[in-house]
Amino acid sequence: MEYILKNGIVYDPVNEINGEKKDVMFRDGKIVNSVSDSAKILDVTDKLVMPAGVDVHCHLAGPKLCVGRLYRPEDERKGVKPKTDITRAETGFSIPSCPATGYRFSRMGYGTVVEAAVPPLEAKHTHEEIIAIPNIDIPPLTLFGNNWFVMQFAKEGNIEDLAAFVSAWLKITKGYGVKIVNPCGSEAWGWGGNVHGIDDPAPYWDVTAREVIRALAQANEMLGLPHSIHVHPNDLGHPGNFPTTINTIDCMKDIKKNSEYRNQTIHLTHAQFHCYEGTSWRDVTSGAQPVADYINKNDHVTMDLGAVTLDETTTMTADGPMEYDLYELTGLKWANKDIELETASGLVPFIYSGRNPVHSLQWAIGLELALMVENPWQVALTTDSPNAGPFIRYPRVISWLMSNKRRMEMMDNKEVHGWAAKKSALATLDREYDFYDIATITRAAPSKIYGFEDRGNLSVGSLADIAVYDLEPNNFDPTVNAAAVENAFSNALYTIKDGEILVKDGEVVKVVSSNHVHTEVQGFEDQEKRILEQIMPMFNKYYTVKFENYIVHDHYAEPSTVYKVNASK
Amino acid sequence: MAYEEPVKDYDKIVENCTCAFCGSNCDDLDILVKDNHVAGVRHACRLGASKIMEDEDQRLLVPMVRDENGELVEVDWDTALDKAAELIAGSIRPVFYGWSETSIEAMKPGLELTELVGAVIDNQATICHGPTVQAVQNVGYPLMTLGEVKNRADMLVYTGSNPMNAHPRHLSRYTTYPKGFFRRRGRFDRTLVTWDPKFSDTAKLSDIWVPFEENGDYGFCNAIRAVLKGKELKQDVISGIPKEDIYELTEKMKNTKFGALFFGLGLTHTLSKQRNIDIAIQLVQDLNKYTKWVLLPMRGHFNVNGFNIFMSYEMGFPYGVDFSRGYPRYMIGETTTIDLLNRRECDVFMVIAADPGAHFPGGALAHLANIPVIQIDIHWGPSTEMADVVLPGTFIGVETAGTSYRMDSVPLYMKKAIDPPETCREDEWIVNELLQRVKNIKEASK
Amino acid sequence: MTYIEKPSISNVVKFDDPDVTQVKKLKVMLNTGTDIYQGACKKRGSTLKDEYRKVAGVCYMDPKDMARLGVGNWESILVKSDWGEVVCYAAHSRDAPHEGMIFIPKGPWANVVVSPETYCCSDPTYKGIKATVEKSDKEVLLMADLMRDVYKKYVKEGEETEELPSLGESPVYKKIRSQ
Repeated sequence: MEYILKNGIVYDPVNEINGEKKDVMFRDGKIVNSVSDSAKILDVTDKLVMPAGVDVHCHLAGPKLCVGRLYRPEDERKGVKPKTDITRAETGFSIPSCPATGYRFSRMGYGTVVEAAVPPLEAKHTHEEIIAIPNIDIPPLTLFGNNWFVMQFAKEGNIEDLAAFVSAWLKITKGYGVKIVNPCGSEAWGWGGNVHGIDDPAPYWDVTAREVIRALAQANEMLGLPHSIHVHPNDLGHPGNFPTTINTIDCMKDIKKNSEYRNQTIHLTHAQFHCYEGTSWRDVTSGAQPVADYINKNDHVTMDLGAVTLDETTTMTADGPMEYDLYELTGLKWANKDIELETASGLVPFIYSGRNPVHSLQWAIGLELALMVENPWQVALTTDSPNAGPFIRYPRVISWLMSNKRRMEMMDNKEVHGWAAKKSALATLDREYDFYDIATITRAAPSKIYGFEDRGNLSVGSLADIAVYDLEPNNFDPTVNAAAVENAFSNALYTIKDGEILVKDGEVVKVVSSNHVHTEVQGFEDQEKRILEQIMPMFNKYYTVKFENYIVHDHYAEPSTVYKVNASK
Repeated sequence: MAYEEPVKDYDKIVENCTCAFCGSNCDDLDILVKDNHVAGVRHACRLGASKIMEDEDQRLLVPMVRDENGELVEVDWDTALDKAAELIAGSIRPVFYGWSETSIEAMKPGLELTELVGAVIDNQATICHGPTVQAVQNVGYPLMTLGEVKNRADMLVYTGSNPMNAHPRHLSRYTTYPKGFFRRRGRFDRTLVTWDPKFSDTAKLSDIWVPFEENGDYGFCNAIRAVLKGKELKQDVISGIPKEDIYELTEKMKNTKFGALFFGLGLTHTLSKQRNIDIAIQLVQDLNKYTKWVLLPMRGHFNVNGFNIFMSYEMGFPYGVDFSRGYPRYMIGETTTIDLLNRRECDVFMVIAADPGAHFPGGALAHLANIPVIQIDIHWGPSTEMADVVLPGTFIGVETAGTSYRMDSVPLYMKKAIDPPETCREDEWIVNELLQRVKNIKEASK
Repeated sequence: MTYIEKPSISNVVKFDDPDVTQVKKLKVMLNTGTDIYQGACKKRGSTLKDEYRKVAGVCYMDPKDMARLGVGNWESILVKSDWGEVVCYAAHSRDAPHEGMIFIPKGPWANVVVSPETYCCSDPTYKGIKATVEKSDKEVLLMADLMRDVYKKYVKEGEETEELPSLGESPVYKKIRSQ
């Protein structure tokens, strides 16, 4: 089927197209140069056209989500929608059911969403949920930061074996890249402890976060994976944690990149949670400036925001000890899920409120980071959904970034607590994102960060993943119309995925299966085989499942998009 | 039992099969196959082995429909499926119950059928760990995978459960006996504690047995919590246990390195129901102020947890989900099976991979005598005595492969060892057929 | 360390125990649940057989309570609760002592006497039911007969279940093909 999207105002930062009126053509799921006369015309004259959104970090499929859904029916009862002829019923607000997750991303014009944390032992569960989520491609990141084998290799400084292990485990879990969460801290949580800073060793293993991060980064680059290591540093959510954040990025400085498309060697995720100055929640202030300064001076790092949206939500992370701290702080119901030999995780519901001083400061820090980091190619928009807010609030964050007026209004009208203005620099930042910048932080930069050459842009040959919004950039001032911006980005005029129209006028009109997106390293098979043989005695002794039943069988990851990587040494 | 010679007469061994009995889902079974029959099974416990070495006399092999005399009559698949589809399509308050002994793959069309006709879908959690789910929704859920316990735990508490009878390999494969990474001497490095009014088979193996009185669970946990919070116990004996013993036990629990609490239906089936679990969970949460503690409900069927997980990710609610209004509703005590039967509300009952005849209280079962019952199962059981349409399924994990979730939510792909009997059909196929046939009936009547 | 000394298990019902006075009816607390024999028999699928009656149609009692009632192992007793009454075998419990408590493994026999009341909590009350036990001269029914006797789903009006022939220990249905 051929289509021509006519006369839209196109923003495609990868191709440096900044608000040009032009046609976008596609055939058989790919963007093309020209189409025949029989192409179907979609008239989008003067409307905002972008590649479909790419989300770098979201918790949307897997065991943690399921614990959340199971233990928070109060959240599921929000956002209930009856079934239609096309869609199934929807439930949930911060942790929507799988079908609802797919529909909602699709309505916002998204095409690819990364699932940010997959414990290998339960990777099948993540893939089962991906099967249940329609309409978006999902690359899952596999957790490595507290894996016993990884810690052992890191301790020995055995990078080649570690690379072989990572390569094998990405295949076993059908994962896309390397996720590191509170390295060594989640292992310490196995004993109810934590580590502080990057030089505090894990109990027994006697290896530090610095060693683990560096080793995994070196292995990542040895394999030449399309994405860099994806790091949730130590000390998340602790006042005074910003030096840990800077140390984490800085310890990567000398590691050489080995992948063409991306620029970074480390991706710092949900940066907002890692930029606090002070010693306690009483004297906490924003630590965004030093972190942003560092990022502005260094191009080996990218980050995503983790912007707080001031909603009642559900926090969930593989950072087990942090969730227990949060439980002690709030007293809200605490769930925990430790995974043998691999990781920990926890959940606590959280009620962010504009009346609360700390939450308001967190809100300010998320926005500060976006406004302080000068190069939008180093920034990706996230809310670490659902941790700082559910993903359906992305359009609201966009509206804040585009309108200084709206931000000032919120601080002046006491929609947020005085701490937002007093303890951060947000009130002094009058930078406003334009549509080109928004397209960068929600499309172009994310796809570059992940090494996706075939999406996040409208280049010929790329996937026909396109979003059209009901805004006319040439007749519209986003700096004074925050509500209209939010509304438009929440309800795409068209969402096109692989050349198929999935959303029209903000409603899902077609449901398709999601692709499981994963990498497959080639040329490392011998090393993988050797390493598997080497670790198998330990695997058999200390796991409670057989290796044969541990791997994710192919049928759990269908349909799939596989990015083949040539391990170049 | 008399000594039996090991089975030597077999064609092949299928290794690493997953046991389709209890929530332990042991995935190390070796099934010995001879002429497409199970000749023997290695590593399974008494329960697992009994199920895999099934009683072939009572295997449901052919579809059956009751005639006007109330006798079951063998029919062909089309007739049986049409009859079942007709009953479902014509009902106003259907309940689809069971699912815990089948695969996730079979649940998928089952949910689709539920959505199509606006039925209630529910599983065995409704009569076993339902209160646990409610307690989890009240206070939280600090759990772990069983390997964490194997590798780290030095204290294990079993309460309201008797794993030596219900999950026979739980102690030997996961918690108490195995040599773990940080517990190299296995059993010798661990303290096993049983809280149970009865001197159960598990209590007999334990280092410490705390025989609190019947219905004393809440008071006992409450006392430990009080001691943990530095309070003094005012009574000399609480729930039948002297207060000195409670102090001593609390101190021991505080001073372990890694403790794990396992609880079963002893807590959920007594009068305080979810309140018992509430306080047990809160106790574990409190203990984490001092040291590491986790807990896990001892789930009964091999996929009872799987259904709760499946429903949670598909529809946001774990069990007892009512689609009669076109969107999912979950209201415990209202949209749950026993309550629907007690209120005589349901008008067609489909049971798949479950046996309400053996497990529902008589007061609820009495309603099944008033309404048509469709059964999908592998054996002739008490429910067959009340079934109007019987559809013979296949044996997941032996004859058919499929996905299940262990009690600690670890997903496993259960492979098959032999081919199913020719006349039986996979659950997934049966449910899919019902779905298509009900769709056709609905289309035709439009 | 044990909080209360672990008991030695009495395997014998001593009718001449001097502490025991005979009674006609015993007030007890009924618990149900699984045990390994019931579980193995049920999941093997042997529910129609005598074997199932022996593992699930059985009421495990403290030997002293049995002495009080004057029943020996495998003699019939009648268990009554607010919800119904059922005849099962008496057998001494290997978890004794627990005077005043009886245990019937879950199954069709236990179902008759447990409470369907969920107290709005989805889960019936299977444990801690007040019940009475007395001696009975009736035979414990096989599973199929019990289901027919209790629920009468396919019993015609005017038929007395007690007078009908037993359904026996194997499946009863009309076959198409002669086998």
